[in-house]
Amino acid sequence: MKIDLSFTLNGSPINTSVAVDRRLVDLLRDELDLTGTKIGCEEGECGACTVLVDGQAVNSCLFPAPEVDGKHVITIEGLGESDNRLSELQQAFVDQGGIQCGFCSPGMILSARALLNENPNPSQDEIREALGGNLCRCTGYVQIVDSIQTAAARENSDD
Amino acid sequence: MKCTVVGKRVERKDARAKVTGETIYPSDRSREGMLWVVAVRAAHPHARILSIDTERAAAAAGVVRVLTARDVPGENAFGIQFHDMPVLCSDRVRYLGDVVALVGAESRRAARQAAALVAVDYQPLALLTDPEQALDPATPALHPGGNILHEVHFHKGNISVGFQKSAVIVERSYQLPMMDHAFLETEAGLSYFDENDVLCVESCGQYIYRDRKQIASVLGLAEEKIRVSAEMVGGAFGGKDDITVQIQLALMTYVTGRPAKMVASREESIVAHSKRHPASMWFKTGASKSGKLMAVEARFLSDTGAYASLGGPVLNLMAEHAAGPYLVPHVKVDGHVVYTNNGFSGAFRGFGCTQACVGIESQMDLMARALRRDPLAFRQANVLHQGDAAGLGYEMKTAVGAEPTIRAARAGKLYRQRRRIKKDRTHVSPSLAPFIRRGVGVASQMQGLGLGVGIEDQAEVEVVLGPGGAVRVKVGTTEIGQGAYTAYAQMTAERLGVPLEQVEIVGADTGTCPDSGATTASRTTYAVGNAILLAIAKLEQRRSAWAAQGTGRENLSARANFTVPTQDRQLGDGLPHLLYSYGTHVVLVEVNTLTGEISVEAVEAYLDGGRVVSPLGFEGQSEGGIAQGIGYTLFEEVLLDRGRFLNTNFDTYILPSSKDVPTAIHTVPIEVMEKSGPLGAKGISETCTVGVAPAILNALEDAIGIRFVRLPVRAEDVILAREESPHES
Repeated sequence: MKIDLSFTLNGSPINTSVAVDRRLVDLLRDELDLTGTKIGCEEGECGACTVLVDGQAVNSCLFPAPEVDGKHVITIEGLGESDNRLSELQQAFVDQGGIQCGFCSPGMILSARALLNENPNPSQDEIREALGGNLCRCTGYVQIVDSIQTAAARENSDD
Repeated sequence: MKCTVVGKRVERKDARAKVTGETIYPSDRSREGMLWVVAVRAAHPHARILSIDTERAAAAAGVVRVLTARDVPGENAFGIQFHDMPVLCSDRVRYLGDVVALVGAESRRAARQAAALVAVDYQPLALLTDPEQALDPATPALHPGGNILHEVHFHKGNISVGFQKSAVIVERSYQLPMMDHAFLETEAGLSYFDENDVLCVESCGQYIYRDRKQIASVLGLAEEKIRVSAEMVGGAFGGKDDITVQIQLALMTYVTGRPAKMVASREESIVAHSKRHPASMWFKTGASKSGKLMAVEARFLSDTGAYASLGGPVLNLMAEHAAGPYLVPHVKVDGHVVYTNNGFSGAFRGFGCTQACVGIESQMDLMARALRRDPLAFRQANVLHQGDAAGLGYEMKTAVGAEPTIRAARAGKLYRQRRRIKKDRTHVSPSLAPFIRRGVGVASQMQGLGLGVGIEDQAEVEVVLGPGGAVRVKVGTTEIGQGAYTAYAQMTAERLGVPLEQVEIVGADTGTCPDSGATTASRTTYAVGNAILLAIAKLEQRRSAWAAQGTGRENLSARANFTVPTQDRQLGDGLPHLLYSYGTHVVLVEVNTLTGEISVEAVEAYLDGGRVVSPLGFEGQSEGGIAQGIGYTLFEEVLLDRGRFLNTNFDTYILPSSKDVPTAIHTVPIEVMEKSGPLGAKGISETCTVGVAPAILNALEDAIGIRFVRLPVRAEDVILAREESPHES
């Protein structure tokens, strides 16, 4: 059974219909061709599929697609600046080495975005707590935490 | 030599595309008209196949084709060292990851549903899950050659003389778990025929040319009719060195003519791919009253599971590294690696050194303790130098940085101030303070670089100078996250004197790139880097020749091939090595004796991989290696019950999270330049993780007086051990 769905994706309106049991991650990757959102475990443990729904970080592998109706969804593809520049947060990951294989990065960056939206000046511990649901097998997290602290400092100085 | 690009904190070449989601990974690839492929895997860890009925599956909605062994046109077997893994099993399965059929369907859901309809009639066979039992010649054999895949027997000097001269002798047994690579992207890929009828496989392997060769032999096709690529991959750590989905994809496309896609579920991934070899080890070591190492005797029993993979070479490296980076006059090492029905094990970052290091570095600490010597001073007094005879007797001919890493660690803050740091309770509440114990532990290690004697180890690259100063470097190795492409670009920019931005790395496609060898064995910075410098030297010769003739030319290209040098005398497959990287780790742990909880509070890593090409990548690899070491020591173990996997996703196979890895990681480069290295470089991708486990074990003994000999060490192990300990405090 399919149902109609209207939501905002990375700032643009989307009108589509999806099967009622479709997961948000499949809608994004398979139907809307946004492969920046990754799949790592399909049970909400690794966070590779993290996207923002109305500003909250959610695991899109556990999130029913029909539930984004009327909501705002942000994926990694929607995080850059309008003129093709990286956002401060993305740039900080580039500068501080927060990227290795990069497969956890989209989810990691979106979890960081949700944190910084709530708490523009998080401590080390608060960052590590907020990333608790995002696994990275390459970096050991140190440069990821550095990246987020750097982004926070830059964003605060821009204000 | 002073460098201007090499050694600078430059941005990774692939970072921008990775933070925007533009990078296309194997699991992101798709193609018009593609089939989804799902593997039907064994229902029993050891069974005879009586029949396979695919009729219902083939008739299911959306199913295009169900393949079985009958559909394999060429050799129905593959493997890195021996072709012992069936592509599709027809008569027998030996572990739960064995594949009996492949379903190709219009959707993933249809393929999965149909996979459940493939009816296989099995006759279960006796299980072999105890490696000790595999040594018994009376045990039924899993493979025609018996259950012992490989054995090693080495000695140097006279071990009984060594123990006679020892004032202190320490003997312990160690148990090491099966570990999963847990690369974040599961095995995935896409295959299709291109317009020239070439079968293309875009996948995740660590050696595209070897993958191509194996696909060719399975399909009975010429290698030129196959193209394999694996440019950007979501992690590997050795777990994608063996073929995973590549042959399955190629076979489906070959038979149906349709594009095909596979992505393993996490559960399937953990069951199917190789693991770090679980092993039992026995060590007996002795030192003289004056603190000189006299004897190291070790016995290993390694479990390679159902298939050989690299079980032989991994055992060889365990033997090679059994005596650690130390000068020991009397050494005896014996080891076996056996087949069982316990999954299968193969390459994993550290490759046998990880296991051996847990043993020898625990022993070093126990001996230092018995001799009442400073653990690092004891190591320093026994350390290998260039020109010394290694554990197995051959000469250490290249740069040896072991001693400088130990010296630097001794001078480091954590070690110098350990007595004060251990007593510090300012960070815990007064009510908890009486239950907190802290300890500092150390470990030193060496790690062979390259594939070793007897295994072809070459890297060919092509450097192309284009218009406007653009430089393209074509390399065959995979970017699995380690940052090698950035290091290649830095070395290229350095040598050509061009800005880094002008250098483009074109990677890992047999259609466009030469064979640079495998992305394994800490070898790529060294081997590919050297090949790049050779190619540039050729280009410059030609350029100056043309300049002398007064003619200029753009679009100039040169290929060069570099062979990794080896020792003269072979002791085994890939044994020994000529080049090593080195390291010493210092670790601070904290134990809550009330709950048993262990936390790693700080780590200092002193690493020698020659010149550091890319400091940001160097530090990142070190930190990631430490996190994997923490996982190996405190969390991770693939659990099997009678050949069946018990923890196949991240809810039960626990990886270190951001809360389990300390912020206080300090990585210090100890740059002992290697003359044969590109600009003096070697590599650190394995040595950075090898010493972490024993350093934590040594810190635990320092903290609570208990010597753990089995990994992983969990909170309940601490509580139980303290209850049993006569010295409970």
